[in-house]
Amino acid sequence: MTVSSPILRTVARFALPLSLVVSAIIFMQGHNLPGGGFIAGVLGAAGAAIYLLAFGVERAARIQWWKFAVVGLCISLLTGTVQALLGYGFMNHTIWHIGSYHLPTATFFDLGVYLIVLGTLMTIFVELGMEDR
Amino acid sequence: MLDYPSMLPAIVFVPFAAAMLALLIGRYTGRHTGLLMVLAALTCFGMSTTLFLNTHQAGQAPALFTTTWFSVGTFQIDLRLLGDAFGLFFAMLVSGIGTLVGIYSLSYIPTDLPNSRLGRYYAALITFMGAMLGVALADNLMLLYVFWEITTIASFMLIGFWYDEASAKRGANMAMQVTVTGGLGLLAGVVLIGVAAGTFTLSELQQQTGAWSRLLASPLANIALILVFLGAFTKSAQAPFHFWLPNAMVAPTPVSTYLHAATMVKAGIFLVGRMLPIFGGTALWSPVLITVGLITFVLGAYQAMRETDLKAILARTTLSMLGMIMLVYGLNASEQDALQILSHATYKGALFLVAGIVEHATHTRDIRELGGLRRKMPITFIICAAAALSMAGVPPFFGFLAKEALYHELLHSEVLHAAGVGQWLVVAGSVLANAFMFAVSFKILLGVFCGPETEKGHHAHEAGPGLWIPPAVLALAATGLGVIGVTSVTEHLVQAISSDPHSHVHISMNPVHWSIGPVVLTFITIALGVGFYMRRTAVEAAQARLDVLPSAPRVWERMMEHIAGFATFYAGRWQNGSLHWYIAATMAFFIGVSAYALVHGGLSLANATVDLTELPWYAIALGVLTIGAMTAVVRANTRMGGAIALGATGFLVSLMFVVYRSPDILLTQILIETVSTIFILLILFFMPSFQPEQMSITRKMINLGISAGVGIIVFLMVLLSMSDGIRATRTLKEDYLSRALDGAGGANAVNVIIVDFRAIDTTGEICVLVIVGLAVFALLRSRRKLA
Repeated sequence: MTVSSPILRTVARFALPLSLVVSAIIFMQGHNLPGGGFIAGVLGAAGAAIYLLAFGVERAARIQWWKFAVVGLCISLLTGTVQALLGYGFMNHTIWHIGSYHLPTATFFDLGVYLIVLGTLMTIFVELGMEDR
Repeated sequence: MLDYPSMLPAIVFVPFAAAMLALLIGRYTGRHTGLLMVLAALTCFGMSTTLFLNTHQAGQAPALFTTTWFSVGTFQIDLRLLGDAFGLFFAMLVSGIGTLVGIYSLSYIPTDLPNSRLGRYYAALITFMGAMLGVALADNLMLLYVFWEITTIASFMLIGFWYDEASAKRGANMAMQVTVTGGLGLLAGVVLIGVAAGTFTLSELQQQTGAWSRLLASPLANIALILVFLGAFTKSAQAPFHFWLPNAMVAPTPVSTYLHAATMVKAGIFLVGRMLPIFGGTALWSPVLITVGLITFVLGAYQAMRETDLKAILARTTLSMLGMIMLVYGLNASEQDALQILSHATYKGALFLVAGIVEHATHTRDIRELGGLRRKMPITFIICAAAALSMAGVPPFFGFLAKEALYHELLHSEVLHAAGVGQWLVVAGSVLANAFMFAVSFKILLGVFCGPETEKGHHAHEAGPGLWIPPAVLALAATGLGVIGVTSVTEHLVQAISSDPHSHVHISMNPVHWSIGPVVLTFITIALGVGFYMRRTAVEAAQARLDVLPSAPRVWERMMEHIAGFATFYAGRWQNGSLHWYIAATMAFFIGVSAYALVHGGLSLANATVDLTELPWYAIALGVLTIGAMTAVVRANTRMGGAIALGATGFLVSLMFVVYRSPDILLTQILIETVSTIFILLILFFMPSFQPEQMSITRKMINLGISAGVGIIVFLMVLLSMSDGIRATRTLKEDYLSRALDGAGGANAVNVIIVDFRAIDTTGEICVLVIVGLAVFALLRSRRKLA
């Protein structure tokens, strides 16, 4: 369904890129400050959904959102599996030290969560939006 | 170069990687994806052989690869692979025949199919190979179970290759239902073994250590054994679960050869072989295996006599041979298991592939429409002759050695001597079954290749080398292993690869070494077999008269219909599509459980302190506003009005988190409110019109009761969280907070819990999320397509 309001369209035009940037920031800071893959995914989906409401479902439907979810699941499971193959046990995360930077392997798991939340929510939104057409 | 222990995971995971690759590139490479299969299988075969030769020649302990797979607290499951002789023999068999089937598939599978479908076919076939290699090498029962179920799934997809046809769907479903039933039994059995013994490690149990004594002393041991048997019997198609195998013959011939003759159906046998050192001495072991094995042995051979479809005949004889190997295990004669498995795999693999060639050339598998093909297809004829004679158990073929070993065991087994008259029943049954097998071998060989040429055979021509080389290799093995049996090479080989390499297995093709008992039995077998073949029409007529029992597949299907009927009834009663009912039932359950916990759970509200000094005026104002918004939700006359009021409530609640400085929950709450509002906007359009005035007074009272109940319970729960007992439970929180930064490198404990400390929980949740998304996608899209 399309809510054809010029105000919404104008808002949506800015809301989408903004929400994507903010969701990336929230995702990255998630390990130390409020945030994380789940919330960032919901935020990204919210931005995209407002865009969907303003400009109609067709543009959003061009993207196969379910693939995001499946790829995300693969990333998450692979993170756990790689740890298992390295001998730490399935889903037992470690921290990579790259110079002075600490990268917990849990970040990859969280990236999977992000993609799953974004992909699943958008799949549902797009499919529901396609229903009345 | 890999060191020896690292080869084990390589053998198992190379096929899975190849299968993934096949899925990705399949749509571009199409039929050539088969080369990937050949390559993967050859790699695995090479590594298995290297490992085997190294262990065998150097006389070292078997290679062992072990790493932690799951560890939760003190509970741990290892990814443990062991390269013992029997496991490596099985791995060589699986990868070796996998190579041949890959080559054969390249020429066999029709090339006019869409590329992506061919890619999927090879991906399933390679996945199956990886899973079988996993079953062969797994030294942890849980790991073995996981690979076991992967073979079931791959088998389902491969049987259903021609999914446009009803018979393919039926065969695939039936195979899946039967083997999954057994698989669940196996899982339960494995868990019981783990509980009773305290370990899932197979080799530890097989060495009969402390864990093994604990297991056998436990009352769970017999139940565990029966459940494991259930898994093995369904997988290896033992009576009364035998019926799925003939129905699985709708699969393409390479699949039938690979899964349903040479490897997958042997997984059950392999499992029993693995269990023999553990349970071999128990009271249940021999009686169950001998009974089930003998019945399947005789029944399969008997039914094979009646069939007219070439693949159906072969499927029945496969049943028979699987029963025979179960019988061998029942006699505790594990030193000859490799001999029996190898002998069957070589000739039966070759015969299946020959059946595929014949069908390719004549477009029929019905033995009544075939005949006289030996002139037009001389190579196939020679291959078939070698394989069929090996099946018949005629010297100098390999099958003869296997049959001699069986007869020798039947006459000298200590297990059977104790059975008295039962021994002669087993001997008579075996001779009868082998006589049928003899007759069936000639029925195939002479029926297809000799006699007058039929109409269907007019346009037949010899197959290309891509088709005849694979069965030729197998037939050569069936001949070669027999002929060199005059020396002791074959004897040493099959003993070295058996699951009990230390016991002697006596076989020889040299007549000087034959003992009188087995030879007499062989003569009786051949005489009976010739008789059956000569009078085959009379035998078939007699069988038709004896045919009074209801057919097993029909019984199974009726059972499945009843289960489905019950499920429909149950779902229709409880899942009737009314959202009102779902929410009411869920909430009523919540009230009941919580109320029970509050009254009988040892919880006390006595010392709950309510401290109002932390309550600023703006929090009170927010509370009042929230109550106002809530009232608006209830009073709303339209769904849209209700939705807006509900959204307002949510945002007001999230402001409350600002007051109490809880940014994490605040962020989550706001975003969830936003997404929910969009969601409601999208579905509002499809909801039936909202007519609160039409609601009956009883329904209103029920709604009121449930709402009030939820309100009171939640209020009490919040109050409870302020009481002494609960407030004191701070150790968990502090434990997480203290470990978050050091242990997981994150200061945000909430997120660290989600992605690290409790990552396995989260994995379950994200799987559910993905499944929900895909279900919505599939359901709505398919409904739109139908409309």
